[in-house]
Amino acid sequence: MKKALALLLALVMTLALAACGGNNDTPAPANNTPAKDDAPADPAPSGDKIDINVIAAQYGQNTTQWWADFQNEFNAAYDNINLTVEVVSWNDIYTVVNTRISGQQAPDILNIDVFADYQADGLLLPAKDYVSDETYAKMYPAFLDQSVVDGTVWAVPDLASARAMYYNVDLLNAAGVEVPTTWDELKTACEKLKAYDSSIYPWGIDMTTDEGQAAFAYYIWNNGGDFTDASGSWTLNSAENVEAIEYAIGLVKDGLTNTDPANETRYTLQDLFGAGKLAMMIGPNSIPTYIKEGGSSINYAFAAIPSNGGNASVSAGVMDRFMCFDNNHSAEKIEAIKTFFDFFYDDARYSDWVLMEGFLPATSAGGEIVAASDPSMAPWVEIVGSCKFYPTAKAEWADVKQGVINVEQQALLGGSVQELLDSLQSEIAG
Amino acid sequence: MNKKTLRKLEPYVWIAPSVILMAVFILVPILSVFQLSMSDVSKAGRIKGFNGIANFTKVLKSSAFGLVLKNTIVWTIAVVVISTVLGFILALILNNNFRGRKIARAIVVFPWATTLVIQASVWNFIINKDYGTLNTLLLKLGLISAPVNWTPTPEAYFAWEIACGIFVTIPFVCFCVLSGLQSIDTTYYEAATVDGANYWQKLFKITLPLVKSSLTVSTVLNIIYVFNSFPIIWTMTKGDPANHTDTLVTYLYKLAFYNGRQGEAAAVSVIGFIILLICASTYMIYTLRKGDDV
Repeated sequence: MKKALALLLALVMTLALAACGGNNDTPAPANNTPAKDDAPADPAPSGDKIDINVIAAQYGQNTTQWWADFQNEFNAAYDNINLTVEVVSWNDIYTVVNTRISGQQAPDILNIDVFADYQADGLLLPAKDYVSDETYAKMYPAFLDQSVVDGTVWAVPDLASARAMYYNVDLLNAAGVEVPTTWDELKTACEKLKAYDSSIYPWGIDMTTDEGQAAFAYYIWNNGGDFTDASGSWTLNSAENVEAIEYAIGLVKDGLTNTDPANETRYTLQDLFGAGKLAMMIGPNSIPTYIKEGGSSINYAFAAIPSNGGNASVSAGVMDRFMCFDNNHSAEKIEAIKTFFDFFYDDARYSDWVLMEGFLPATSAGGEIVAASDPSMAPWVEIVGSCKFYPTAKAEWADVKQGVINVEQQALLGGSVQELLDSLQSEIAG
Repeated sequence: MNKKTLRKLEPYVWIAPSVILMAVFILVPILSVFQLSMSDVSKAGRIKGFNGIANFTKVLKSSAFGLVLKNTIVWTIAVVVISTVLGFILALILNNNFRGRKIARAIVVFPWATTLVIQASVWNFIINKDYGTLNTLLLKLGLISAPVNWTPTPEAYFAWEIACGIFVTIPFVCFCVLSGLQSIDTTYYEAATVDGANYWQKLFKITLPLVKSSLTVSTVLNIIYVFNSFPIIWTMTKGDPANHTDTLVTYLYKLAFYNGRQGEAAAVSVIGFIILLICASTYMIYTLRKGDDV
């Protein structure tokens, strides 16, 4: 009897271990983000002050300090409002937000990239409800269009970034290559670069879990394809898309790219580019900052992403957003939230926010200030007004994003692009 | 009578705090994972109701699951078996008397004491084709003339991950065995030597039976830790390309936080839990029974 009991106890303990063995290893939710140190430890209701809590994504080294300063300025300017901003790293923010939502503790305001999942659960307020008309009018309409579901705008853009093709001027000159503008020229350029020096990689491709969907977007958009048609139905296996991905995979198979696109992220590519080992890559407008901070001194420039079949070059835009959760706010609280957005989108403060991490503005006034203050940003401000965005407003986007990355990686392993995209299309569109 | 019941109850009162703690911090999360695995969970994390075994059937039907399960089994068996053998040998060596034994033992702890994420990053840095230290070293020594791609296939990458897993697991086994070795009375060996036993006979007839309980503990714990290990694979490949280096834990992490399918992720978690439970309890019952018979 005793033996059986002991065995049972041992089993229970194993069971407990089995259940929590991994916990030490899995990344903990960011309870210890730097912002917490700056924020008041106890954001308990303080008298008749209105509490607003914000969760914001950490864009880079300066974000946390920027928000801490913002919080102090804001609280000093408005006696009746108690603003708390919590800055969370991109790695943890989805986990943190989802945990809060399932615990009925959704933030009042959230700064993140996606919104459709929250909207689908009926958790959000329409943008018009919490942004004053004056501030709302400042935003680029094309950006607001990206947050529309059922004819209503649910989120407002906080910043954007756009992509272009970067190239190493010295390497291209040495190999006698003109800057490519079409896919045929690109392939010829890659072959010439390879012939000039077989130890360099002519073209960089990132098909990793990190950002493989970006590569997918570059190629299909510049071949006249798209994720959806004009009516918003998924068109993942269109002929243009299949041709585009086959072209990209072909570059890898011909040895014209980095060795392992399924495992080399954009940051690896940026390092290789900065070290002069990669001749051309598609990257965001933040690359100059990255290369400068990395201490590299290569001679480089950027140009439009090459396109195929006479299609105009399309730049890929990435846009992040603010959204407001429907936590049964009182009328005063809504006013306080409007005050927050007016304060944030104040032209001078807003352009400071955008320049802080080298991003692009989402408001026309911000665009003018940014372009005027930094001449190197001017062409980007123009690019961002005309670039395409991922269909993040669609509820299936998370599955499409992982799906196209999987298609790329399967194709790298030898799968047929047509078959893979056909099966993804039928999986997504049903 | 009254005193007797009191005495009977007493131990339970003493262990009550730990039982309550375990219930709150271990049982509740386990139960909520089970609940999640049988619920329809929205992408934002809202539970929308009970949906029976729908999450399980979806997971089992997906093409990636078989591959991931196979990877998990290969990963667990390879890391546990090889690190146990190597850790055992290392413990035998460290149990000898030699100069600098203390330093040697301290060095063995290092891989264990370093964060797994750092370990995995370092291994990634060593084997990288373009700036890896392994290629640089071999180039400098003149053994190769051009950088070698050490990870040409997903299988090769997975093998490197297993190597990293073995490297960080050896110290744990080594110290478990070492503690067992040090409790063995030297007179056994003296008696065996007098009887004319050779090294191997002593190893298999004296050492192994006496360290068996330490080995059981280290193996059971290792099966659990390695099966659930997340950082090495996540840091080195994130399961890329196309789930070829995923294990159940990295797979469910992606399902939950990249695809937003928390219900299915919980189902994978439950499947992993059941597999572990069966493996660990079978192993424990088997070894403990045997121990009783002796």
